[in-house]
Amino acid sequence: MTTSAAHLSTHELLALQARVLGALIIRETRATFGTSQLGYLWEIITPVAMVAILIALFTALGRHPPFGESMALFFTTGIIPLFFFRKMGMTMMKAFDANKALLAYPPIKETDTLFARAALIILTYCAITWVLFGGLIALGLASAPDRAEVVFEAMAATAALGFGFGVANAVILAFWLSWDKIITMAMRPLFYFSAIFYVPSRMPPYIVDVLEWNPVLHLIEWLREGYYPNYESTIVNPAYPLGIALVLTLVGLAGERATRGRREKVRP
Amino acid sequence: MIEIQNVSKAYCTRGAKTVVFDRLNLSIPRGRNLAIMGCNGAGKSTLMRLLSGAERPDSGRILRSASVSWPLGFAGGFNGSMTGVENVRFVSRVYGRDTDAVLDYVRDFAEIGHHLRLPMRTYSSGMRARLAFGLSLAIDFDCYLIDEAMSVGDARFRAKSKAAFADKMAKAGQVVMVSHSLGIIREYCNCGILLERGGKVAHFDDAESLIEAYKAHLEK
Repeated sequence: MTTSAAHLSTHELLALQARVLGALIIRETRATFGTSQLGYLWEIITPVAMVAILIALFTALGRHPPFGESMALFFTTGIIPLFFFRKMGMTMMKAFDANKALLAYPPIKETDTLFARAALIILTYCAITWVLFGGLIALGLASAPDRAEVVFEAMAATAALGFGFGVANAVILAFWLSWDKIITMAMRPLFYFSAIFYVPSRMPPYIVDVLEWNPVLHLIEWLREGYYPNYESTIVNPAYPLGIALVLTLVGLAGERATRGRREKVRP
Repeated sequence: MIEIQNVSKAYCTRGAKTVVFDRLNLSIPRGRNLAIMGCNGAGKSTLMRLLSGAERPDSGRILRSASVSWPLGFAGGFNGSMTGVENVRFVSRVYGRDTDAVLDYVRDFAEIGHHLRLPMRTYSSGMRARLAFGLSLAIDFDCYLIDEAMSVGDARFRAKSKAAFADKMAKAGQVVMVSHSLGIIREYCNCGILLERGGKVAHFDDAESLIEAYKAHLEK
């Protein structure tokens, strides 16, 4: 059950893989962010606008920052992982459909389009994170992260969870075309359940019992523990989001491989 | 040399299983130009996709010791929001060719002028086809797959395409084509197969006997 590329050496195969991924990343940049220069800018404007709205609300209500001195920093530490997870998940989910036509070029395989999209989103969010935190620090609204390596780990875990979530859903979507609408709806309350604008450890126990099931909340708590020198979460457990990410990624990729033949056959 | 060994392929649409190939064996040595004929739905295009590697067999294997093209003139992989230049660059990157050289060739061949720098959704179908055909010829392959796509554009462009393709054939030496046109089959092919629905395949060692069998098949 092989379509042989036996005449290629391992080195040639690696070069081919790198070439295909590189070409796809450049292409996906256009496909994901649209044709205008504004497309890239938009990716930075949305989280900034969200943070601004939250600050305006809290100020209007006369509230203090939920933690630390800076409202902007607290909200940003919540918004970045949430948006990263959402963008990764939703983009991966639609990867098969968007790139179907490209499979007519034999060097391109379905997993290539997945990995190229993931790489692009990761690069984008590296830039967004850098600009947002850098901007806050430059404006004097935040100090530098206390343990940058922990922030980095939390972001890597976010990428993994988004990837697994997106790939697993992409397989389901291939057979059940309304699935993306259900997922879009299910994602909506995530904003309220992910500790964007409150410190979950200070919530009453019966609320914590519900919140701690949300893996995205763990990611945000994880990032905050790295950014703030004195943020102590009673909830965070890195093994939980990582475990879910691992299981979803394995299930998603195995599902992709197992259903590849049948998905091809659902042709237009 | 392309070898198809024991390849089976079936499609399931809404529970109904259609067998396209059942343990197909076919070997296309270098220097043999293969014609694939058959009625609509006999599996000609599926065989092309299997040969190119765009689709995998359910079982069996396909060995290639030659580089095989995508179907000549295929335009379905172009992204409409990207310009012609960007689309051409993408494909030549995937195949690891010098993007500037490929672009120069396509620019000269397709003759669509400044449109090359505009998004492809603004192209007429003729312009798309010219670009696609030029791109297919800009990248060298050992074996070209052709699926009914030798007649693009006006008479002058057709003559030019034909000359360019003959030039390629002198270098590349191998072609696998699907066509209903007996003239084209006679001109390019020196062996062939006739596909019937349900996976029956007849092999022929020259174009004339294939054409005879095809005519007889149509009359049945």
